Amino acid sequence: MTITIEEDRLSETFAALASSTRRAILTRLAEGEATVNELAEPFEMTLPAISKHIKVLERAGLVRRGQRAQYRPCALDAGPLEQVSTWAEQYRPVWEARFDRMDDYLTRLRRTKDRRTR
Amino acid sequence: MTDSNRPRDAVVIVRSFDAPVDLIWQMWTDREHFKAWYGPDGASIPAAKLDVRVGGTRLVCMEMQSPDGPMQMWFAGEYREVVENELLVYTEAMSDENGNVSSPPDTGMPEGHPMTTEVRVELQDVGGRTKMVMTHTGVPGDSAGAAGWAMALDKLADHIEAHGDR
Repeated sequence: MTITIEEDRLSETFAALASSTRRAILTRLAEGEATVNELAEPFEMTLPAISKHIKVLERAGLVRRGQRAQYRPCALDAGPLEQVSTWAEQYRPVWEARFDRMDDYLTRLRRTKDRRTR
Repeated sequence: MTDSNRPRDAVVIVRSFDAPVDLIWQMWTDREHFKAWYGPDGASIPAAKLDVRVGGTRLVCMEMQSPDGPMQMWFAGEYREVVENELLVYTEAMSDENGNVSSPPDTGMPEGHPMTTEVRVELQDVGGRTKMVMTHTGVPGDSAGAAGWAMALDKLADHIEAHGDR
């Protein structure tokens, strides 16, 4: 069941990253925390529109908001991005096992061929 | 191989096989050869349709034994790049037996899960042996420009490593 929960979380991460605006916000936050006003600066967007993007990132756990009431600066949390890597890594043992079998199969083919040519 | 060049959302496996490059190509493109190695341990591949040409479709059935009897899973996809003995790129997604891609609720996966993935196989002749680089990329099936997305995520991850606090 833990796998389902992790995948659920992961789908949220993927959805949050599927926007160039949100990726740009994360890239900016990688340099340090920033207020919503500062984040909105490079975009031709209204503050509410930017706030909406930040909320999506918050829900995905990629952004944390500070508690200082007036500014509530945003900060990056790269934790869920590690999960994205983990998702892909689930496939690695599957492929490794496949290629082990391919290797065995090639060996069998070669033996059969050797017997025929002898 | 080093992990530093690995895309964050992909599995990259580099292998060397003691077989000529055309035989390794057949491992991926000839259905009888393909069925011999592809299925996970304990699973068989009762059906595989591999229409190996750009735009051609592929449909693979995996059969596993479960307490309720045999359980079949189907995977459909399309060939994107085909250069004989050199390069093979195809997509893959869970589907029904007719190749219709399943919607996430049907597969038990949450919505937004990267349903479509891309497999890229690069082959290189090294003195009669074959070097193979396999890249399996998870891309969200519902976003436009999925390949661009993977690159963007990659750049973002690099950026975070360079500037972030972890």
